[in-house]
Amino acid sequence: MIATQERQDMPAAEPRTINLITAVTEALHEEMERDSRVVLFGQDVGARGGVFMATAGLQATFGKDRVFDTPLSEASIVGAAVGMAVRGLRPVAEIQFADYMGPGFDQIISQAAKMRYRSGGQYTAPLVIRTPSGGGVKGGHHHSQSPESYYTHTPGLKVVMPSTPYDAKGLLKAAIRGEDPVIFFEPKRLYRASKGEVPGHDYIVRIGEAVIRREGTDLSLIGYGGVMPDLERAADALAAEGVSVEVIDLRSLVPWDKELVVASVQKTGRAVLVSEAPRISNFMGEVAYSIQAAAFDSLLAPVGQVAGFDTPYPYVQDKVYLPGPNRITAACVQALNY
Amino acid sequence: MTTSPPVESLATAGIQPFTAEPIRYVGEDGLPVQPLPAAYTPERLRELHAVMLRAREFDRKLITLLRQGRTTFYAQSSGMEATQVGLAHSVRPGHDWVWPYYRDHTLALALGVPMFELISQCLGSNSDPSRGRQMPHHFAARKQNFVSISSSIANQVPPATGTAMAQKYLGTDEITVCTFGDGATSEGDWHAGMNMAGAMAAPCLFVCENNQWAISTNLRGQTASENIHIKAKAYGMPGFYVDGNDIVAVMEVCTHAAGWVRAGNGPALVECLTYRVGSHSNADADAEKNYRTREEVQEWLGRDPVVRVEKLLEHLGHPIESEERAAMIAAVHREVDEQVIRAEATGQPDWRIMFEDVYSDMPAHLREEAAMMRAEQEGGSR
Repeated sequence: MIATQERQDMPAAEPRTINLITAVTEALHEEMERDSRVVLFGQDVGARGGVFMATAGLQATFGKDRVFDTPLSEASIVGAAVGMAVRGLRPVAEIQFADYMGPGFDQIISQAAKMRYRSGGQYTAPLVIRTPSGGGVKGGHHHSQSPESYYTHTPGLKVVMPSTPYDAKGLLKAAIRGEDPVIFFEPKRLYRASKGEVPGHDYIVRIGEAVIRREGTDLSLIGYGGVMPDLERAADALAAEGVSVEVIDLRSLVPWDKELVVASVQKTGRAVLVSEAPRISNFMGEVAYSIQAAAFDSLLAPVGQVAGFDTPYPYVQDKVYLPGPNRITAACVQALNY
Repeated sequence: MTTSPPVESLATAGIQPFTAEPIRYVGEDGLPVQPLPAAYTPERLRELHAVMLRAREFDRKLITLLRQGRTTFYAQSSGMEATQVGLAHSVRPGHDWVWPYYRDHTLALALGVPMFELISQCLGSNSDPSRGRQMPHHFAARKQNFVSISSSIANQVPPATGTAMAQKYLGTDEITVCTFGDGATSEGDWHAGMNMAGAMAAPCLFVCENNQWAISTNLRGQTASENIHIKAKAYGMPGFYVDGNDIVAVMEVCTHAAGWVRAGNGPALVECLTYRVGSHSNADADAEKNYRTREEVQEWLGRDPVVRVEKLLEHLGHPIESEERAAMIAAVHREVDEQVIRAEATGQPDWRIMFEDVYSDMPAHLREEAAMMRAEQEGGSR
């Protein structure tokens, strides 16, 4: 069910098992090799290779003109990316933590998101902003938030969050090659925890397509990003009780794969939506609305939702705050017993 | 990326950065206060005067359109013609890039953006290259590399720096010009963009059109800084201070500063001291009643940049006679009237354009919403 568009124009090599952050680095490396318009910048991305080492080695390979450190200013980093994209480059900007995007927010929503629309297509801003997001690393609220809903609320932006190395590499390549501004959230707790196979040849994963991680018939369990391993654990626990759970990874939030989700719920009759962002105005509210609007007659239970709490992200209760397998399983049981 | 050489190494050519008083060539009485460069022949001055007068009368006619309800927003630039026309002469249209602010239609006209396009945008007609998506007076002109104007204050500054960084990376001989008002210099984006440009030695010419009022907040309420241009020092770039109502001075200083930028020395800032004679927009049409004095306005009317050139031409023995001036004004009014009729004849974009250009391709959710809208429109209800 993995929806991909694979290119065969690079020499074939054996598939390899890598982690998510290596997939990010490989995607950047290959895209910079492919297209000299791709430039990479942000705070500490050069010699150091970024706080999480996502850009490690790239400055040494591509030089300081293409991979460089900037002043400590998110407004400058994002704004410069807009101006570069308008002028014809393919900038990939790194913001150290999604929590720090605040000073660049206006550049994202007023400039990047609106450029094509407001100029009648005379100008476009095909840029990528990469940023680690989500909790689970004992970072406190300035290093753990999940702000994706702020961006899904802004027409003109594409919003992506992978959970596997395969998707991270394929989606990032698609983002860099695309013609629209993309906010690319990287679930930091999966950087090294998520390992998986990537092909030895060039490929992309199309933005906007979800993937069924495991097929099932009793309930659709839908999530994205850092929570995905917990969805799998919950599905395992329920399988042990004889419940067949279909696990879906949205991968892209804007645009999102409503068709796949609705078809799944029409098949299973039940849906539980999981994300770690606070519940109010959570993107999953949109998914819940769409499910009830398109598959109301199929529903055997109310759509369940497991989210972060509506508190600032707490430091000490890091693990408790996140919707782990227990909370996810409980929500599924509630839907099954309705 | 390399850093800029020290500002002290700036080749002066008689134009110094960081002067206490604005650089001036022509006094308020129209008499030169220093020798005019040879290029400013009476013929040349007459050409510049014609461009300024055209913009002035464009303003006047657009205010009429506003009062007639044929457009809904307009930001006058009367009083600022020398600043914008003078700046235009340091820009190579269609080669250099411009990140303007929303009071720059005089700059646009001077750069060759057709009046028809500006009027079409103000009317939101089918002939608007921006397709009726922005409020009036927020235009974009691709042929002139005149980038789309945003209403948010100063948020064109970091992108302008980015465009300049791209030009440097691409190895072109282009520069970027970024304009803003005095109010913009209070915004974080202004400082962020200026700082980045300095640190990256980006070929960007920043131009503050200091018209002294950001809606109802004056310069003294805006900053405790003595003036704007000295802030350039903090970002490692030269700051020039010029009489923004003296077309000769603006042209000379902007050309000099642009030359510094073009030579690969990094960015520069020019502060043009001018005055917004009219209101901020139609939202504060009674500016004089609410927040500024008639005396102040009268004082600045005495420094009118258009009149100053007329006085200079008279002094040089090439006066613009009153009949000639009247004929010029009548010609502009005719031109505006014709372009308005032409633009209105193209009609207004229909609902379909609302869903286009959000993304490079229309995603499923927008196709769905467009279908809903189609059904609503075809059903004849709202």
